Amino acid sequence: MMAETMEKIQAQDTYKINGKLFTSRLLVGTGKYASNELMAQCLEASGTEIVTIALRRVNLDNKGEKTLLDFVDPKRYTLLPNTAGCYSAEEAIRVAHLARATGISDFVKLEVLYDEKTLLPDPIATLEATQVLVKEGFTVMTYTSDDPVMAQKLEQAGAHAVMPAGSPIGSGQGVLNPNNIRIILEKLKCPVLIDAGVGSASDVAVAMELGVMAVLLNTAIAHAKDPLKMAHAMRHATEAGRLSYLAGRIPKKLYAQASTPQKDF
Amino acid sequence: MELTINGENKKFDEGLSLEELIQSLGVRKETVVAEVNRKIVQAGERSRFKLTHGDQVELIQFVGGG
Repeated sequence: MMAETMEKIQAQDTYKINGKLFTSRLLVGTGKYASNELMAQCLEASGTEIVTIALRRVNLDNKGEKTLLDFVDPKRYTLLPNTAGCYSAEEAIRVAHLARATGISDFVKLEVLYDEKTLLPDPIATLEATQVLVKEGFTVMTYTSDDPVMAQKLEQAGAHAVMPAGSPIGSGQGVLNPNNIRIILEKLKCPVLIDAGVGSASDVAVAMELGVMAVLLNTAIAHAKDPLKMAHAMRHATEAGRLSYLAGRIPKKLYAQASTPQKDF
Repeated sequence: MELTINGENKKFDEGLSLEELIQSLGVRKETVVAEVNRKIVQAGERSRFKLTHGDQVELIQFVGGG
């Protein structure tokens, strides 16, 4: 019997966000890299198809300098502009409008924060902004805490993907409350992604083994000692975690179970 | 006339269009989004959009982010 190749398994294991088809289950951010060249290499190595980006004022002192879009081809990647740094629904909606006005993407990673130290989301403002942006026709992927009630409210508001944090943004603590993620997965029909908090390949594999649709990360690659190696590692971890989830793990048991027959020596 | 561009006050000749402003600043027009007085001006409207004294102009572009 021919073994199923990874390519064949992946080709049969695609997913959709608001009707758009994807294969890679790793979404990668473009912030915090030592250089744009390194960032572009890491995106390539990660195998990602969806890339988060941010909007900021043009630096008027550096006329004609290369911009992010010189390194991230919008024809190759689905660009997911974020509303990072917004602390009210109004601000986040404004940033989403600006992003759409570029004509490059109507996807938005909606993020409305409450305070600078924890970078935890403001649930009420997040819900308000989700409602508005969904009505305006955006593809809304909403960052939230791992609260199962909030996740359900966001889905009811029409979010196209709900993205609970595994742990605080950039903290690298992994998925701190897998049970909440399990409950969210049980309750929601829309895509659920882990967004933020993962620090290593094993964190990503754990997230994927829970059954989430995909993982979104940035710092774990960008601030690794060797970002390019970590980008490869994250790709493998995402694929390994996904396959492990699909394959179905053995139940945990208290006592040993021999792998070798114990009789007929 | 005086305009505020990304928070900085600068002097310009009267009758300047938004398109001309972007050109004169050396900003790459294909990757920039422009807001005047908190309202987005679409790329196709910039050449017709005349700036007036006191306008607050924001020029925004994509940067790295997570």
